[in-house]
Amino acid sequence: MEGLGYAWQALTTTPAIFVAMGGVAWGILGGALPGISPSITMALLLPFTYALEPMTAIVLLASTYVGAEYGGSIPAILIRTPGTNAAAATAIDGYEMHKQGRGGEALGISLICGVIGGLIGLIFLVCLTEPLAKVALVFTPPAYFALGILGISVIASLSEGSLIKGLMAGVIGLMVATVGTDPLSGVSRFTYGSPELLGGIPFILVMVGVFAVSELLVQASEPDWSKTGNMQTRMKLPSLKMHKRLLKPNFIGSTIGIFEGCMPGAGGTIASFMSYNEARRWSKHPEEFGKGSPEAVAAPEAANNTVACTALVPTLSFGIPGSNSTAVLLGGLLIHGLQPGPLLFEKHPDIIYGLFGGLFIANISMLLIGMLILTPTIWLVNRPKPYLMAGIYALIFSGVYTIDHSLFDLVVVLIAGAAGYLMRQFGFPFLPLVLGLVLGYLIEANYRRSLLLTSGDHIVFLQDPVSLGLLITALVFVIGSAWRDIRSARRQAAEGESTEAQA
Amino acid sequence: MKRIAMPRDAWIGVVFLVLAVVYWIAADGIRISPLDGPVTAAGLPKSLGYALGGLSVLLILRSLALRRSVVGRPAAPAPAEEPAEEDEPSALYRHLRAIGMLAFGICYLLVVPYLGYMLSIIGLMLGVALYIGARFGAKPAVIAGLGGLFFYLLFVQVLNVPLPAGIWPSLLGTLQG
Repeated sequence: MEGLGYAWQALTTTPAIFVAMGGVAWGILGGALPGISPSITMALLLPFTYALEPMTAIVLLASTYVGAEYGGSIPAILIRTPGTNAAAATAIDGYEMHKQGRGGEALGISLICGVIGGLIGLIFLVCLTEPLAKVALVFTPPAYFALGILGISVIASLSEGSLIKGLMAGVIGLMVATVGTDPLSGVSRFTYGSPELLGGIPFILVMVGVFAVSELLVQASEPDWSKTGNMQTRMKLPSLKMHKRLLKPNFIGSTIGIFEGCMPGAGGTIASFMSYNEARRWSKHPEEFGKGSPEAVAAPEAANNTVACTALVPTLSFGIPGSNSTAVLLGGLLIHGLQPGPLLFEKHPDIIYGLFGGLFIANISMLLIGMLILTPTIWLVNRPKPYLMAGIYALIFSGVYTIDHSLFDLVVVLIAGAAGYLMRQFGFPFLPLVLGLVLGYLIEANYRRSLLLTSGDHIVFLQDPVSLGLLITALVFVIGSAWRDIRSARRQAAEGESTEAQA
Repeated sequence: MKRIAMPRDAWIGVVFLVLAVVYWIAADGIRISPLDGPVTAAGLPKSLGYALGGLSVLLILRSLALRRSVVGRPAAPAPAEEPAEEDEPSALYRHLRAIGMLAFGICYLLVVPYLGYMLSIIGLMLGVALYIGARFGAKPAVIAGLGGLFFYLLFVQVLNVPLPAGIWPSLLGTLQG
């Protein structure tokens, strides 16, 4: 009840309601543009959050995430080009429905199921976050160090591509975090006399660079996406009969979304494809899947919108973001000096419950904004890509300058963008890099504090039961992922041999 | 004699191995402070240097092992030549396009202290739009101009961000003086 009071106060005494609605609108527009993922949409907003109150800033970022997850389904349905990765499953049947002249119905199903999924996810977010955060109260410095190592190991293990590259990205993130003045001894590290580097490399610049600028570099050689043409599409909300039919896929999508969202590294894409498959398995009309089934639109949309809320559980409880989007949100929290975990609930309950209230408003308002903004969104998707990309480039350069009024920041963003482009080309995942950068201080400070307690004896990490448990879990993830890598390599080799034998 | 090319991941591993060594040497040069505890300011960076070096070696070994398993097999008959997709740009073309895009950003950084924010952002938008595929003509210039004006009003007038004014204020001052 106390939490409800905080949420009510936040919604009635701050601009959180308007910010949530604005965030949803921005998220839908950004998510609808192919190539502009929810994390990019959020990263573009990050520089502006500096000037906002902490709670307002966090609500803005979180509601953008919610809106972007729905926005991705609009081009997926209308032009078979998912605006976000998670909307790829929606494109399969959504576009088929559109071809049959049922595009408006598909958009309505996507919107309604997204709202239902988002609200279910929010309930679980509220119920799970605080109890989990309280677990962290027993954490000592060795346990916090081990938690940081676990976070990077899990994300590196579950990221796409090879485990080794994931771990390397995490280590590089930690290396970048060491640049600047050492907070414990005041010694300058890797600054080479540059005053701009004394404060370290702000992770916000790296996030904007690797997510947004690298995407622009990729888009420079990509052809323009398809257009919807002059065809008018009016959204049609599902009837009561259709709602009954969508009950099961909604339940399946939300259930999968709850589990996948809470697990770091899984994310909305896996959840939406899993729920697509499960919805087909449990459907009374599995033969319609792939040919324009409303259930095939409902399940993935419910799943990825549930994930948009439940992915905040590990982020807020332990400060371990499970996806690129939640990493950007974590960045938003840290910018305002808010360290996720139990202390956040004790010191700033107004912000946490204000965020929950803002997410509630974001999900509810998405119903109205989703309908109102459909025409402008289709208009935006139909604009020539060159102008949109030019506008985004200008927005990045203008927005980043607002942070410190420094051109040096823009240099860092460009370098991070080039690095992000190379990472994409060579198959390195972004998230471990960002996580290493964000968790760098937590890991180093607690590592050194732990060793201060034992005069440099590393046994402290094995004597603390929580630390030991977390380090063993990290090891299990790494070994499991290494085993998966080896099996995958062997399978590839075996497939190559059998192909040759057949030839 | 058949020449076996080193796999790409092995090259990446070599580059990172060199980076790890350079980083470790730089970390070794970090000053030791009397405020340091049992772990100095160089402690974690040096450990990270070791970690990156170790992972780089693993990456090299993994890619060479994979390569060996492929090369060790008898050569497969050459597959029937498939017509190359005309629309698919080559890797070199894609990289050059990306470098070009990056160059626009660098040019912006070079000219903005002199031309000021508004002219530079208009130039950036116009250049990028034309580069990505807008047809040359009045339309991109008008859109870039309107876009630049919008960003100027938003950031400089509404948000009061002191974006670079360029040489114009001093030039105008000189002319007036």
